[in-house]
Amino acid sequence: MRKVLAVIRREFVSRVRTRAFLISTIGGPLIMGFFFMLPAILAGRDTRVRHLVVLDAASGELGQRIAERLSREVRDTSAAVPQPRYRVEYVSAGGRTDQLRDSLVALTGLKNRSDALDGIVLVTDSTLESGTVEYLGTDVGSPTDMARLSRTLTPVVQVTRLTLHQVDPALAFSATRAVDLKTQRISEGKLTGQSGEASFLLAYIMGFLLYIALLLYGVQVMNSVLEEKTNRIMEVLVSSLSPFELMLGKILGVGAVGLVQLGIWAGTAMVLTTYRVQAAALLGVPAASVASLPIPAVTPAMLAVFLTFFILGFLLYSAAYAAVGSMCNSHQEVQQAQMPITLFIGLGFITMFSLLGDPNGSLAQLLSYLPPFAPFVIPVRYSMNPLALTEILLAALSVIAGIVIVTWIAARIYRVGILSYGKKPSFRELARWVRAA
Amino acid sequence: MPDAVIRLDHVTKRFSGHTAVNDFSLEVPGGGIFGLLGPNGAGKTTTIRMITSILLPDEGTISLFGQPAGRSLSNRVGFLPEERGLYPRMPVLEHLIFLGETKGLSRAAARKRATHWLGRLGLAEWGNRKVQDLSKGMQQKVQFIGTLLHDPELVILDEPFSGLDPVNSQTMKQIVIDLARDGRTVVFSTHIMEQAERMCDRVAIIARGEKVLDGALADVKRQDGKRHVALVFTHGRDHAVPVLLDRALVASLSDSGASAEVELAAGAEPDQLLRALVTAGVGLSRFEVVEPSLESIFISRVGGTATPEEPETEAAYA
Repeated sequence: MRKVLAVIRREFVSRVRTRAFLISTIGGPLIMGFFFMLPAILAGRDTRVRHLVVLDAASGELGQRIAERLSREVRDTSAAVPQPRYRVEYVSAGGRTDQLRDSLVALTGLKNRSDALDGIVLVTDSTLESGTVEYLGTDVGSPTDMARLSRTLTPVVQVTRLTLHQVDPALAFSATRAVDLKTQRISEGKLTGQSGEASFLLAYIMGFLLYIALLLYGVQVMNSVLEEKTNRIMEVLVSSLSPFELMLGKILGVGAVGLVQLGIWAGTAMVLTTYRVQAAALLGVPAASVASLPIPAVTPAMLAVFLTFFILGFLLYSAAYAAVGSMCNSHQEVQQAQMPITLFIGLGFITMFSLLGDPNGSLAQLLSYLPPFAPFVIPVRYSMNPLALTEILLAALSVIAGIVIVTWIAARIYRVGILSYGKKPSFRELARWVRAA
Repeated sequence: MPDAVIRLDHVTKRFSGHTAVNDFSLEVPGGGIFGLLGPNGAGKTTTIRMITSILLPDEGTISLFGQPAGRSLSNRVGFLPEERGLYPRMPVLEHLIFLGETKGLSRAAARKRATHWLGRLGLAEWGNRKVQDLSKGMQQKVQFIGTLLHDPELVILDEPFSGLDPVNSQTMKQIVIDLARDGRTVVFSTHIMEQAERMCDRVAIIARGEKVLDGALADVKRQDGKRHVALVFTHGRDHAVPVLLDRALVASLSDSGASAEVELAAGAEPDQLLRALVTAGVGLSRFEVVEPSLESIFISRVGGTATPEEPETEAAYA
């Protein structure tokens, strides 16, 4: 056992010492934090006032109303001194619509000019009837900006139409108000105060992290075995340790690295979500824009389930990866031979998407007891809707059974493979390796 | 004989298709240098892998120090495989400590001994450098240290001197000789007979997976008696060919071009050979009845040529 510890220690230390580990461990949370804060930062930073011209080619007051409504649009309604979103000029076309439009177009997109324009809102006679407003601008590529503009303009047109037919707009709006579905998740017979949107996001993040982590560390085990083989250090090691001890040490060593890294990442995520308002304040982002983001809180129980199934999944897949590494002689061979394993991990990841729609359906329940998929399915299901402890334990047991079987086969392939050089074995040869005493 | 350090009892190992080692029995007594000789593909590496418990024999038994062989005894055995390798990105000292740990040393003891050995082999400055920064010769020394770090009673070296430059080769040979002088048992394999002849107290010759002979080097030579003649040619080398191929005179030939060693056929006398050569018009600067070299013993026992090379390491099981 002491010798296995030496192998674990060597694997762990030589990995943790690398620059790649340092960069990915620190870089992971940084990237995570960056994407997490990005929308808020962008929303907070985009303070430029857009310069619009409302070109009114319509008879009636619609053009003026639109101009007036746009100039009232503010950026942050909760701010003490609201900042206008648009600077609006009203131009009456007076029959020269085309010429005016062309000369205004020439003014858009110019930099460093006080009369530079961002866009032209063209209101015509058909606007009221068809609801078409032409917008010519530099920012039409931004769906957010366009949706916002459309949301601002729609009520103006609606009110004008209603007034035209002598209907009280207030009455019309209150009568046609849509039903607002307010969701709140119940778990273990208690209200969580968490919206459905939030648990969806958490499940998605969990599944994705598992997918990345299993691939990342499984492949590390495989490459490490291959490296020892091509280095020819294997032979001296197997005279002191049994191949099984070697494989075990390697898997546990790499697994420990993975746990440390995931632990750091998960911890950062917990801190980030718990203290997101304070973190946002540090970056000068308004608290309100962060607090409203649908970020769920990661509970310790969830973290425990996640890490448990990461460990189980890692043990299952890395044993298979070790076997593949041991039977190959070059990186090219390994690329091919690892395909079946990568396929299973990919399938596990993909099943997640069908689970997101129906986390407690019969497919989800079936997959929970299939060892290759349970490591993905259980954490995702749990993060959407906590499962009964017995269900989790049963799933864990099925994975453990899978680990025992896969490890037994892998150890037999590994034992022969690490000392075999030359051609990659065929399936028949592999079967013989497994059967060999 | 007192307890043999290594005892192989009718050991057979088959890989699919061929028998690598066949009914091999051997005893290596404690102390001294033992040479396991044979051409490439003879089964030396397979034999060594079975002794070091990397492979298990299909038939027969192996015991070390009077106990059944197994990894539990590996702390008493130092092993240098033919294919040598180190982790290139590991610092030298760390690497040696790791190798020591796999042989049951504590980290502290391993560090102390590794430092001592690095100093002894002139690598004291290199302990904190990565293995890949070392020259090939230095890496071989590190490997050697790794083999000897835990002070093993039995040292097994597979082709230890192949690929070494002359200076390193000399250093390693001196260490091997010192080990034997300290009362340890050294077993090494080689296909170079002259090397074994100079260093070994005892030898075993193995060919095509079977033992050809074994015993103390002096006994092996004596068995073949005074039936070997060393020749050095001056001119007329071509004329010597029919004489040397005459089965009535020559039983086997170890031909080195300008010189040769001949084993006389049964019933042939040295002066008959000399007369035949002179009559054929061959010029000689040396004609001497000698103690046989291992090389010529090997050729007379195994046959004129080495067995065709078999891909011994290519398929350990398959």
